[in-house]
Amino acid sequence: MMHEQVADLAELYALGALGDSDRAAVDEHVRRCATCAQLLAGAERDVALIASMEPQHAAPRELEARVERTLQNRPQAWPYAAAIAAAVAIGLLPSLYILSQTNALHRSMLAQAAATERLAGAPHRMAHFRTTPGMPPAEIVYAPDGSWYLVLVHGAAKTLSVAWMHDGTRTMLGDAVPQGHLASLYLPKSHRMDRIALMDGDRVVAEATLNWQKTSLSHPTGRFA
Amino acid sequence: MRVQRSEGSGDEALAAAFAAHERWAFSEAYRQNASLLYSAAYNVLGNADEAKDCVADAIARLWRARHPYSPGRGSLRNFLVVCVRNEAISRRRRHVRRARVEERLAALASDAEPFDAEDPIERDRVRSALIALPPEQRTAIALAFYGGKTHTEIAAELQEPLGTIKSRIKLGLRKLAAALGHPTAREHDVR
Repeated sequence: MMHEQVADLAELYALGALGDSDRAAVDEHVRRCATCAQLLAGAERDVALIASMEPQHAAPRELEARVERTLQNRPQAWPYAAAIAAAVAIGLLPSLYILSQTNALHRSMLAQAAATERLAGAPHRMAHFRTTPGMPPAEIVYAPDGSWYLVLVHGAAKTLSVAWMHDGTRTMLGDAVPQGHLASLYLPKSHRMDRIALMDGDRVVAEATLNWQKTSLSHPTGRFA
Repeated sequence: MRVQRSEGSGDEALAAAFAAHERWAFSEAYRQNASLLYSAAYNVLGNADEAKDCVADAIARLWRARHPYSPGRGSLRNFLVVCVRNEAISRRRRHVRRARVEERLAALASDAEPFDAEDPIERDRVRSALIALPPEQRTAIALAFYGGKTHTEIAAELQEPLGTIKSRIKLGLRKLAAALGHPTAREHDVR
Protein backbone atom coordinates (compact mmCIF):
# COMPACT_ATOMS: atom_id res chain seq x y z
CA MET A 1 0.00 0.00 0.00
CA MET A 2 1.30 3.46 -0.93
CA HIS A 3 1.26 6.71 1.03
CA GLU A 4 -1.50 8.15 -1.17
CA GLN A 5 -3.72 5.15 -0.54
CA VAL A 6 -3.30 5.43 3.22
CA ALA A 7 -4.07 9.16 3.06
CA ASP A 8 -7.19 8.26 1.14
CA LEU A 9 -8.28 5.63 3.66
CA ALA A 10 -7.28 7.14 7.04
CA GLU A 11 -10.72 8.45 7.97
CA LEU A 12 -12.39 5.28 6.75
CA TYR A 13 -10.00 3.22 8.87
CA ALA A 14 -10.68 5.26 11.98
CA LEU A 15 -14.44 5.11 11.47
CA GLY A 16 -14.33 1.35 11.00
CA ALA A 17 -15.51 1.62 7.39
CA LEU A 18 -12.79 -0.57 5.90
CA GLY A 19 -12.98 -4.27 5.32
CA ASP A 20 -10.55 -6.57 7.15
CA SER A 21 -8.02 -6.80 4.31
CA ASP A 22 -7.84 -3.03 3.74
CA ARG A 23 -7.52 -2.48 7.48
CA ALA A 24 -4.68 -4.97 7.71
CA ALA A 25 -2.91 -3.30 4.77
CA VAL A 26 -3.16 0.10 6.47
CA ASP A 27 -1.86 -1.41 9.74
CA GLU A 28 1.12 -2.91 7.95
CA HIS A 29 1.96 0.34 6.17
CA VAL A 30 1.71 2.66 9.17
CA ARG A 31 3.87 0.30 11.22
CA ARG A 32 6.75 1.27 8.95
CA CYS A 33 5.76 4.80 7.92
CA ALA A 34 5.84 7.59 10.49
CA THR A 35 4.22 10.11 8.12
CA CYS A 36 1.16 7.97 7.51
CA ALA A 37 1.04 6.99 11.19
CA GLN A 38 0.66 10.67 12.04
CA LEU A 39 -2.03 11.05 9.43
CA LEU A 40 -3.93 8.12 10.85
CA ALA A 41 -3.46 9.47 14.38
CA GLY A 42 -5.34 12.63 13.34
CA ALA A 43 -8.31 10.64 12.08
CA GLU A 44 -8.28 8.39 15.16
CA ARG A 45 -8.28 11.47 17.37
CA ASP A 46 -11.42 12.75 15.65
CA VAL A 47 -13.23 9.43 15.94
CA ALA A 48 -12.16 8.96 19.57
CA LEU A 49 -13.54 12.41 20.32
CA ILE A 50 -16.92 11.50 18.87
CA ALA A 51 -16.89 8.13 20.63
CA SER A 52 -16.13 9.83 23.96
CA MET A 53 -19.28 11.90 23.54
CA GLU A 54 -21.45 8.84 23.08
CA PRO A 55 -23.28 7.55 26.18
CA GLN A 56 -20.73 6.27 28.67
CA HIS A 57 -21.20 3.08 30.67
CA ALA A 58 -19.17 1.89 33.64
CA ALA A 59 -17.02 -1.08 32.70
CA PRO A 60 -18.08 -4.24 34.56
CA ARG A 61 -15.56 -5.26 37.23
CA GLU A 62 -15.31 -8.77 35.92
CA LEU A 63 -13.96 -7.38 32.64
CA GLU A 64 -10.79 -6.17 34.34
CA ALA A 65 -10.22 -9.64 35.82
CA ARG A 66 -10.74 -11.13 32.38
CA VAL A 67 -8.23 -8.75 30.81
CA GLU A 68 -5.71 -9.59 33.53
CA ARG A 69 -6.16 -13.31 32.87
CA THR A 70 -5.45 -12.67 29.20
CA LEU A 71 -2.27 -10.80 30.04
CA GLN A 72 -1.00 -13.68 32.18
CA ASN A 73 -0.51 -15.71 29.03
CA ARG A 74 2.49 -14.20 27.38
CA PRO A 75 2.59 -14.86 23.62
CA GLN A 76 5.46 -17.08 22.58
CA ALA A 77 6.43 -15.51 19.28
CA TRP A 78 6.91 -11.78 19.62
CA PRO A 79 9.02 -11.19 22.77
CA TYR A 80 11.92 -12.92 21.18
CA ALA A 81 11.61 -11.30 17.78
CA ALA A 82 14.24 -8.64 18.29
CA ALA A 83 16.62 -11.07 19.94
CA ILE A 84 16.08 -13.58 17.16
CA ALA A 85 16.67 -10.84 14.56
CA ALA A 86 19.90 -10.02 16.31
CA ALA A 87 20.87 -13.67 16.45
CA VAL A 88 20.17 -14.06 12.72
CA ALA A 89 22.30 -11.01 11.99
CA ILE A 90 24.99 -12.38 14.24
CA GLY A 91 24.88 -15.69 12.38
CA LEU A 92 25.57 -13.84 9.15
CA LEU A 93 28.52 -11.95 10.53
CA PRO A 94 31.22 -14.61 10.05
CA SER A 95 30.63 -14.76 6.29
CA LEU A 96 30.53 -10.97 6.12
CA TYR A 97 33.81 -10.89 7.99
CA ILE A 98 35.44 -13.04 5.38
CA LEU A 99 34.32 -10.63 2.69
CA SER A 100 35.33 -7.49 4.46
CA GLN A 101 37.88 -7.57 7.26
CA THR A 102 37.53 -4.00 8.26
CA ASN A 103 38.29 -2.91 11.78
CA ALA A 104 34.80 -1.54 12.19
CA LEU A 105 33.22 -4.82 11.25
CA HIS A 106 35.57 -6.72 13.48
CA ARG A 107 34.62 -4.59 16.44
CA SER A 108 30.99 -5.07 15.52
CA MET A 109 31.41 -8.85 15.41
CA LEU A 110 32.95 -8.94 18.83
CA ALA A 111 30.20 -6.77 20.15
CA GLN A 112 27.50 -8.87 18.52
CA ALA A 113 29.03 -12.03 19.93
CA ALA A 114 28.92 -10.48 23.37
CA ALA A 115 25.32 -9.46 22.71
CA THR A 116 24.42 -13.03 21.79
CA GLU A 117 26.00 -14.39 24.93
CA ARG A 118 24.17 -11.92 27.08
CA LEU A 119 20.85 -12.25 25.28
CA ALA A 120 21.02 -16.02 25.55
CA GLY A 121 20.61 -16.03 29.28
CA ALA A 122 19.36 -12.64 30.25
CA PRO A 123 15.93 -11.12 30.62
CA HIS A 124 15.54 -8.14 28.36
CA ARG A 125 13.21 -5.36 27.38
CA MET A 126 12.56 -3.64 24.10
CA ALA A 127 11.57 -0.10 23.08
CA HIS A 128 10.72 1.08 19.59
CA PHE A 129 12.26 4.25 18.25
CA ARG A 130 9.92 7.04 17.24
CA THR A 131 11.24 7.77 13.79
CA THR A 132 11.07 10.76 11.49
CA PRO A 133 9.56 10.33 8.00
CA GLY A 134 11.70 8.19 5.76
CA MET A 135 13.54 6.52 8.61
CA PRO A 136 13.39 2.74 8.78
CA PRO A 137 11.95 1.09 11.91
CA ALA A 138 14.38 0.69 14.78
CA GLU A 139 14.38 -0.87 18.22
CA ILE A 140 16.56 -0.98 21.25
CA VAL A 141 16.79 -4.19 23.28
CA TYR A 142 18.21 -3.66 26.76
CA ALA A 143 18.88 -5.32 30.07
CA PRO A 144 16.46 -4.51 32.89
CA ASP A 145 19.47 -3.42 35.00
CA GLY A 146 21.02 -1.23 32.28
CA SER A 147 24.08 -3.44 31.92
CA TRP A 148 23.79 -3.73 28.12
CA TYR A 149 21.91 -2.27 25.18
CA LEU A 150 21.52 -3.42 21.59
CA VAL A 151 20.34 -0.94 18.96
CA LEU A 152 18.80 -2.48 15.82
CA VAL A 153 17.87 -0.51 12.69
CA HIS A 154 16.01 -2.52 10.05
CA GLY A 155 16.74 -1.72 6.41
CA ALA A 156 19.25 1.02 7.24
CA ALA A 157 21.00 2.35 4.15
CA LYS A 158 23.76 4.17 5.97
CA THR A 159 25.57 4.41 9.27
CA LEU A 160 23.67 6.18 12.04
CA SER A 161 25.18 7.51 15.24
CA VAL A 162 23.69 6.53 18.57
CA ALA A 163 23.49 9.13 21.32
CA TRP A 164 22.40 9.18 24.95
CA MET A 165 20.21 12.22 25.61
CA HIS A 166 20.61 13.30 29.21
CA ASP A 167 20.67 16.44 31.31
CA GLY A 168 20.38 18.65 28.27
CA THR A 169 23.32 17.06 26.52
CA ARG A 170 24.02 14.39 23.94
CA THR A 171 26.66 11.81 24.68
CA MET A 172 27.73 9.98 21.55
CA LEU A 173 27.82 6.23 22.16
CA GLY A 174 28.93 4.85 18.81
CA ASP A 175 27.75 4.03 15.29
CA ALA A 176 25.18 1.53 14.07
CA VAL A 177 26.83 0.22 10.90
CA PRO A 178 24.66 -1.43 8.20
CA GLN A 179 25.48 -5.08 7.57
CA GLY A 180 23.06 -6.49 5.04
CA HIS A 181 19.58 -5.33 5.98
CA LEU A 182 20.38 -4.62 9.60
CA ALA A 183 22.44 -1.94 11.29
CA SER A 184 23.27 -2.61 14.90
CA LEU A 185 25.30 -1.41 17.82
CA TYR A 186 25.92 -3.29 21.05
CA LEU A 187 26.62 -1.19 24.11
CA PRO A 188 27.86 -2.75 27.35
CA LYS A 189 27.13 -0.17 30.06
CA SER A 190 26.89 0.06 33.77
CA HIS A 191 24.09 2.57 34.09
CA ARG A 192 20.54 3.15 32.97
CA MET A 193 19.88 5.49 30.06
CA ASP A 194 16.35 6.71 29.59
CA ARG A 195 16.50 8.41 26.18
CA ILE A 196 18.45 7.17 23.20
CA ALA A 197 18.59 8.97 19.87
CA LEU A 198 19.66 7.91 16.39
CA MET A 199 21.47 10.66 14.51
CA ASP A 200 22.20 11.25 10.85
CA GLY A 201 25.09 13.68 11.15
CA ASP A 202 23.90 16.36 13.55
CA ARG A 203 20.23 15.63 12.98
CA VAL A 204 18.19 13.48 15.36
CA VAL A 205 16.18 11.12 13.17
CA ALA A 206 14.74 8.80 15.81
CA GLU A 207 14.34 8.66 19.53
CA ALA A 208 13.43 5.95 22.02
CA THR A 209 12.29 6.25 25.61
CA LEU A 210 13.41 3.41 27.85
CA ASN A 211 11.32 2.37 30.79
CA TRP A 212 12.87 1.60 34.13
CA GLN A 213 9.79 1.55 36.31
CA LYS A 214 9.97 -0.86 39.21
CA THR A 215 6.64 -2.44 38.41
CA SER A 216 7.93 -3.59 35.08
CA LEU A 217 11.32 -4.71 36.36
CA SER A 218 9.68 -7.70 37.95
CA HIS A 219 8.16 -8.54 34.56
CA PRO A 220 11.02 -8.51 32.08
CA THR A 221 9.99 -8.46 28.46
CA GLY A 222 11.25 -11.92 27.81
CA ARG A 223 13.99 -14.44 27.99
CA PHE A 224 15.84 -15.46 24.89
CA ALA A 225 16.25 -19.19 25.03
CA MET B 1 26.44 19.85 21.88
CA ARG B 2 23.67 21.19 24.11
CA VAL B 3 20.06 20.43 23.39
CA GLN B 4 16.86 21.19 25.20
CA ARG B 5 15.71 18.32 27.32
CA SER B 6 12.06 17.38 27.14
CA GLU B 7 10.81 15.34 30.04
CA GLY B 8 8.57 12.43 29.16
CA SER B 9 5.12 12.57 30.67
CA GLY B 10 3.40 9.66 32.36
CA ASP B 11 1.32 9.14 29.24
CA GLU B 12 4.43 8.95 27.10
CA ALA B 13 6.05 6.45 29.44
CA LEU B 14 2.90 4.34 29.39
CA ALA B 15 2.71 4.50 25.60
CA ALA B 16 6.37 3.54 25.26
CA ALA B 17 5.93 0.61 27.64
CA PHE B 18 2.78 -0.48 25.81
CA ALA B 19 4.69 -0.40 22.54
CA ALA B 20 7.39 -2.49 24.21
CA HIS B 21 4.84 -5.13 25.25
CA GLU B 22 5.19 -4.52 28.98
CA ARG B 23 2.45 -6.34 30.80
CA TRP B 24 1.99 -3.64 33.41
CA ALA B 25 1.43 -1.09 30.62
CA PHE B 26 -1.37 -3.17 29.09
CA SER B 27 -3.01 -3.46 32.53
CA GLU B 28 -2.65 0.24 33.23
CA ALA B 29 -3.83 1.29 29.76
CA TYR B 30 -6.94 -0.83 30.24
CA ARG B 31 -7.60 0.51 33.74
CA GLN B 32 -7.23 4.13 32.66
CA ASN B 33 -9.62 3.71 29.75
CA ALA B 34 -11.87 0.86 30.92
CA SER B 35 -15.19 2.67 30.78
CA LEU B 36 -14.36 4.49 27.57
CA LEU B 37 -13.41 1.24 25.84
CA TYR B 38 -16.38 -0.66 27.22
CA SER B 39 -18.69 2.17 26.18
CA ALA B 40 -17.21 2.30 22.69
CA ALA B 41 -17.95 -1.41 22.31
CA TYR B 42 -21.38 -1.22 23.97
CA ASN B 43 -22.48 1.69 21.81
CA VAL B 44 -21.73 -0.30 18.68
CA LEU B 45 -23.01 -3.68 19.84
CA GLY B 46 -25.82 -2.69 22.20
CA ASN B 47 -25.27 -5.71 24.39
CA ALA B 48 -23.29 -5.94 27.63
CA ASP B 49 -22.01 -9.50 27.17
CA GLU B 50 -20.91 -8.87 23.62
CA ALA B 51 -19.28 -5.59 24.64
CA LYS B 52 -17.26 -7.41 27.32
CA ASP B 53 -16.20 -10.09 24.82
CA CYS B 54 -15.27 -7.40 22.35
CA VAL B 55 -13.04 -5.42 24.72
CA ALA B 56 -11.36 -8.56 26.06
CA ASP B 57 -10.73 -9.84 22.53
CA ALA B 58 -9.38 -6.49 21.34
CA ILE B 59 -6.89 -6.34 24.23
CA ALA B 60 -5.94 -9.99 23.67
CA ARG B 61 -5.36 -9.34 19.98
CA LEU B 62 -3.02 -6.45 20.76
CA TRP B 63 -1.26 -8.56 23.40
CA ARG B 64 -0.61 -11.26 20.82
CA ALA B 65 0.49 -8.83 18.10
CA ARG B 66 4.17 -8.52 17.38
CA HIS B 67 3.86 -4.76 16.94
CA PRO B 68 0.79 -3.75 18.94
CA TYR B 69 1.31 -0.02 18.77
CA SER B 70 3.83 2.63 17.87
CA PRO B 71 3.97 5.94 19.77
CA GLY B 72 4.19 7.63 16.35
CA ARG B 73 0.63 6.48 15.83
CA GLY B 74 -0.58 9.16 18.25
CA SER B 75 -2.34 8.99 21.60
CA LEU B 76 -2.57 5.50 23.07
CA ARG B 77 -6.08 6.27 24.32
CA ASN B 78 -7.34 7.22 20.85
CA PHE B 79 -5.62 4.21 19.34
CA LEU B 80 -7.31 1.86 21.81
CA VAL B 81 -10.73 3.41 21.26
CA VAL B 82 -10.43 2.91 17.51
CA CYS B 83 -9.15 -0.66 17.98
CA VAL B 84 -12.10 -1.55 20.18
CA ARG B 85 -14.59 0.16 17.88
CA ASN B 86 -13.18 -1.65 14.85
CA GLU B 87 -13.39 -4.94 16.72
CA ALA B 88 -16.98 -4.14 17.68
CA ILE B 89 -17.89 -3.19 14.12
CA SER B 90 -16.40 -6.42 12.79
CA ARG B 91 -18.46 -8.34 15.30
CA ARG B 92 -21.59 -6.51 14.40
CA ARG B 93 -21.00 -7.10 10.74
CA ARG B 94 -20.81 -10.76 11.51
CA HIS B 95 -23.99 -10.72 13.56
CA VAL B 96 -25.83 -8.18 11.43
CA ARG B 97 -27.80 -6.25 13.99
CA ARG B 98 -29.74 -4.32 11.47
CA ALA B 99 -32.71 -3.30 13.58
CA ARG B 100 -30.66 -1.14 15.91
CA VAL B 101 -28.74 0.42 13.04
CA GLU B 102 -31.87 1.29 11.09
CA GLU B 103 -33.45 2.73 14.21
CA ARG B 104 -30.51 5.06 14.84
CA LEU B 105 -30.24 6.08 11.21
CA ALA B 106 -33.95 6.79 11.04
CA ALA B 107 -33.69 8.97 14.13
CA LEU B 108 -30.87 10.93 12.56
CA ALA B 109 -32.57 11.31 9.22
CA SER B 110 -35.89 12.43 10.64
CA ASP B 111 -34.33 14.78 13.19
CA ALA B 112 -37.03 13.54 15.53
CA GLU B 113 -36.11 11.67 18.69
CA PRO B 114 -33.04 12.67 20.70
CA PHE B 115 -30.54 9.99 21.62
CA ASP B 116 -31.12 8.27 24.93
CA ALA B 117 -28.10 9.99 26.37
CA GLU B 118 -26.73 9.75 29.86
CA ASP B 119 -25.38 13.25 29.39
CA PRO B 120 -27.99 15.04 27.27
CA ILE B 121 -25.85 18.13 26.89
CA GLU B 122 -22.96 16.28 25.32
CA ARG B 123 -25.26 14.06 23.35
CA ASP B 124 -27.03 17.07 21.94
CA ARG B 125 -23.68 18.50 20.87
CA VAL B 126 -22.90 15.39 18.85
CA ARG B 127 -26.38 15.27 17.44
CA SER B 128 -26.39 18.97 16.58
CA ALA B 129 -22.99 18.71 14.95
CA LEU B 130 -24.16 15.73 12.92
CA ILE B 131 -27.33 17.47 11.83
CA ALA B 132 -25.36 20.56 10.85
CA LEU B 133 -23.37 18.57 8.33
CA PRO B 134 -24.48 18.65 4.71
CA PRO B 135 -27.00 15.81 4.31
CA GLU B 136 -24.82 13.73 2.01
CA GLN B 137 -21.88 13.92 4.44
CA ARG B 138 -24.13 13.23 7.43
CA THR B 139 -25.59 10.14 5.84
CA ALA B 140 -22.17 8.77 4.89
CA ILE B 141 -20.76 9.42 8.38
CA ALA B 142 -23.81 7.90 10.06
CA LEU B 143 -23.71 4.79 7.91
CA ALA B 144 -20.05 4.33 8.84
CA PHE B 145 -20.04 5.38 12.50
CA TYR B 146 -23.41 4.02 13.58
CA GLY B 147 -24.10 1.61 10.78
CA GLY B 148 -20.73 -0.11 10.85
CA LYS B 149 -20.78 -0.36 7.06
CA THR B 150 -17.73 -0.45 4.85
CA HIS B 151 -17.14 2.28 2.34
CA THR B 152 -17.99 -0.09 -0.49
CA GLU B 153 -21.28 -1.00 1.19
CA ILE B 154 -22.07 2.69 1.69
CA ALA B 155 -21.27 3.45 -1.94
CA ALA B 156 -23.54 0.63 -3.07
CA GLU B 157 -26.34 1.64 -0.73
CA LEU B 158 -26.22 5.28 -1.76
CA GLN B 159 -25.49 4.43 -5.39
CA GLU B 160 -22.57 6.81 -5.49
CA PRO B 161 -18.99 6.31 -6.72
CA LEU B 162 -16.53 5.04 -4.12
CA GLY B 163 -14.39 8.17 -4.44
CA THR B 164 -17.38 10.38 -3.70
CA ILE B 165 -18.14 8.42 -0.53
CA LYS B 166 -14.52 8.64 0.62
CA SER B 167 -14.53 12.41 0.12
CA ARG B 168 -17.82 12.84 1.96
CA ILE B 169 -16.62 10.82 4.93
CA LYS B 170 -13.25 12.57 5.05
CA LEU B 171 -14.75 16.07 4.96
CA GLY B 172 -17.65 15.18 7.23
CA LEU B 173 -15.45 13.70 9.92
CA ARG B 174 -13.14 16.71 9.97
CA LYS B 175 -16.08 19.12 10.13
CA LEU B 176 -17.60 17.09 12.93
CA ALA B 177 -14.42 17.15 15.00
CA ALA B 178 -14.03 20.89 14.42
CA ALA B 179 -17.65 21.54 15.35
CA LEU B 180 -17.26 19.57 18.57
CA GLY B 181 -14.47 21.92 19.50
CA HIS B 182 -11.56 19.55 19.48
CA PRO B 183 -8.60 21.74 20.49
CA THR B 184 -6.45 20.40 17.73
CA ALA B 185 -9.11 19.70 15.13
CA ARG B 186 -7.69 20.03 11.66
CA GLU B 187 -9.70 23.13 10.88
CA HIS B 188 -7.43 24.11 8.05
CA ASP B 189 -8.55 20.98 6.30
CA VAL B 190 -12.24 21.65 6.80
CA ARG B 191 -14.00 22.96 3.80
